[in-house]
Amino acid sequence: MLLTPTDLAKYPFTPQAAEHVQKLDLRITELDQAEYGAIVERAEQRIQEAIENGVVSDRTTGYSMQRKNTKDDVEILSFPITVVMVVSISDQSLKRRYALAEAKHAYNLLKREDPHKLTAIAHVFNLHPRQVETHVKNPQTTTSEFLLSFVGYLKNISIFHESKWKLVNRRMQHGEVHVTKDEVARLIGEEVRAYIESKLNLKADLALPQDVVNRIEKLKQRHMSLKKMQEEQMPKETVIEAFPPCIKKLRKTALEKGHLSHIERFTLTSFLLNSGMSVDNVIECFRPTSDFSEKMTRYQVEHIAGGRGGGTKYVPPKCDTLSTHGVCPGGDEICEKAWRPLTYYKRKLAAVKPKTTQQ
Amino acid sequence: MATVDPPLSTEFREFAFLLFKEKTMLRHKGFKDAQDFRKFLQSVLPSDVYYSCAYYENPGAEMSQKGWKGADLVFDIDADHIPTACKQQHDTWTCRNCGASGRGSKPESCAKCGGQKFEEVSWPCDTCLEVAKRETIKLKEVLENDFGFSSHEMKVAFSGHRGYHIHIENESVRTLNSMARKEIVDYMMGKGLDPSLQGFDFERGASPDLEDFGWRGRLAKAAYEIVLSSQLQPETTGKKTSKSLFAQRERILERWDGKGPWIITPSVSKEKWAEIIRQAIERQSIKLDTVVTTDIHRLIRLANTLHGETGLKKTDVLGGEIERFDPFNDAIAFKDGTTTVYVTESPQFRLGEVSYRSYENEKVELPTAAAMLLLCKGAAEIAEEENPVQ
Repeated sequence: MLLTPTDLAKYPFTPQAAEHVQKLDLRITELDQAEYGAIVERAEQRIQEAIENGVVSDRTTGYSMQRKNTKDDVEILSFPITVVMVVSISDQSLKRRYALAEAKHAYNLLKREDPHKLTAIAHVFNLHPRQVETHVKNPQTTTSEFLLSFVGYLKNISIFHESKWKLVNRRMQHGEVHVTKDEVARLIGEEVRAYIESKLNLKADLALPQDVVNRIEKLKQRHMSLKKMQEEQMPKETVIEAFPPCIKKLRKTALEKGHLSHIERFTLTSFLLNSGMSVDNVIECFRPTSDFSEKMTRYQVEHIAGGRGGGTKYVPPKCDTLSTHGVCPGGDEICEKAWRPLTYYKRKLAAVKPKTTQQ
Repeated sequence: MATVDPPLSTEFREFAFLLFKEKTMLRHKGFKDAQDFRKFLQSVLPSDVYYSCAYYENPGAEMSQKGWKGADLVFDIDADHIPTACKQQHDTWTCRNCGASGRGSKPESCAKCGGQKFEEVSWPCDTCLEVAKRETIKLKEVLENDFGFSSHEMKVAFSGHRGYHIHIENESVRTLNSMARKEIVDYMMGKGLDPSLQGFDFERGASPDLEDFGWRGRLAKAAYEIVLSSQLQPETTGKKTSKSLFAQRERILERWDGKGPWIITPSVSKEKWAEIIRQAIERQSIKLDTVVTTDIHRLIRLANTLHGETGLKKTDVLGGEIERFDPFNDAIAFKDGTTTVYVTESPQFRLGEVSYRSYENEKVELPTAAAMLLLCKGAAEIAEEENPVQ
């Protein structure tokens, strides 16, 4: 299927968009020239939106002063420029946040696409969903619009932790899994995130014009100050040095505005609460995460603390459950003797407490 | 005896050998072709031969330098992971810490000292291997119907000890990572299955059809069987449910045949139905050795080589022949001659057409395959010849 210029503007990470960019013969060293003004502006905005909102906005629809093809070109060309800028900021947490913001942007657009276009974009990532007609016998049965090979389906689902994504909870026949249009869009979104993250981790040593360097510096400052603000707000009553590797990693991801899956949030929350941290302080830990909502987080944290619902106070999952779900980053010596993150904490606490307890 | 052929893509596989004399594992061996492999085999004469399910750029290099390219999808069904009553008769364990011992499968921890490490002696028996065969057939069906593999894409083999392997070399599965393989394992075992996502709604009374594909149909079938036979385990569901289920059997089955939702029965509560479905999942769950499938570097025994714990050989089971396959006959490697052994203790066992009684501290002359099994199990020693044959 042929992708229109507007499609390329929506999905600037496709090889077709890259080809289009090549044809336009864009020179990095000339980015300070007036003709590129709108492009550099949009590139800066993409990063800013990622930092502030966690999602890149859609500029392909709606009213604009620009001519349609100019508007599309700005979207297409601003993407590689954004990538160059994020690479030169050289901050892991920003790279992750930007890749996720673009993925969310792509997902928002993809879920509204017609099936043919959705399929065409899926092909870019070697996913080959097949449209099906389903005969709904039972109104409770969710309708599936696509079939996807189980291999393609399994490529990305470990990042999703809702039980509906588990293969065992899917309808599958002859090697194909039933998926909805929205789910195909989610799976492509995850491919987009991984693809952009891999692009951002490539090394590039480019001589950028001063104007662009200044913009980068400004963005970097903003990102760093938000990051620092979050770090300062971290509660101090728990002994962080005694955290097991998994919790250390989760906390770092939260602080660096990363994305935490459901099980990761649950693990971190229940661990922090059990280590003696107050509900308010736990909520603060999640403030930097990409999809933070205070109301929602408070509800969840209070629930895990036992303040809502049945009053059950939860503990973090066992080590082997964490390992099954890919949360365990690999343990150290203490991990070998502990089977729960809290057991680890208690053991290590006994060793470090006399020196480093913080009040 | 069948020749020992290396696996497909020999040049990308890692090989490992357990050496008779040194009892050590020789790992990280790579061979450029079958000839190279056989030459090595003749020079070292190992007790056990393994190869990697993985493909590597440099199979002979150390682990971090190998360059993983992909791995076959492998399943292992082992009687060790399936509860059978006969284990009480033929399996024993000894606590490594305090020396306490017992019969059957090892406990989670030693009742005497709390130790968690045990020496185990397990015997392959007809019952255990039949149960393993049933699981293998179930697995094969799911791989065919749900996962879409054709029969010729699946290599089924008797492991040489207490179970079966299914090996899939299809290129499409090679790059699946460990997490993806874990999802496949969970699918086979029904782990994490949420009935509400497989067509059940206990509130409104929706339930899947017997003809549905995948887990839906399998759950419907298992629940149907439970209702039909009223084989509900009363200890988990209560006698009352079993009774009312039995009393209403006709009505439930009628609804079923009329394609109506079958999980509405006045005196069987939705909680009880949920319990019935839980038991249906358990019935349809395939008992796998999970780590074999999720380990993308796994070493597997090579077909037509001996299993060091039995003296039987790992034997390929061709397409439709699994029903007829008899591991205690078809996997015998040593078919001729007899050997005299001194047996300390052994349970009853069968090899070929012969059933052997249990032995205790006695000297017996046995067909070589039977003697070999006892020797491999550490239950016997070669007896000194009193009257050596001239």
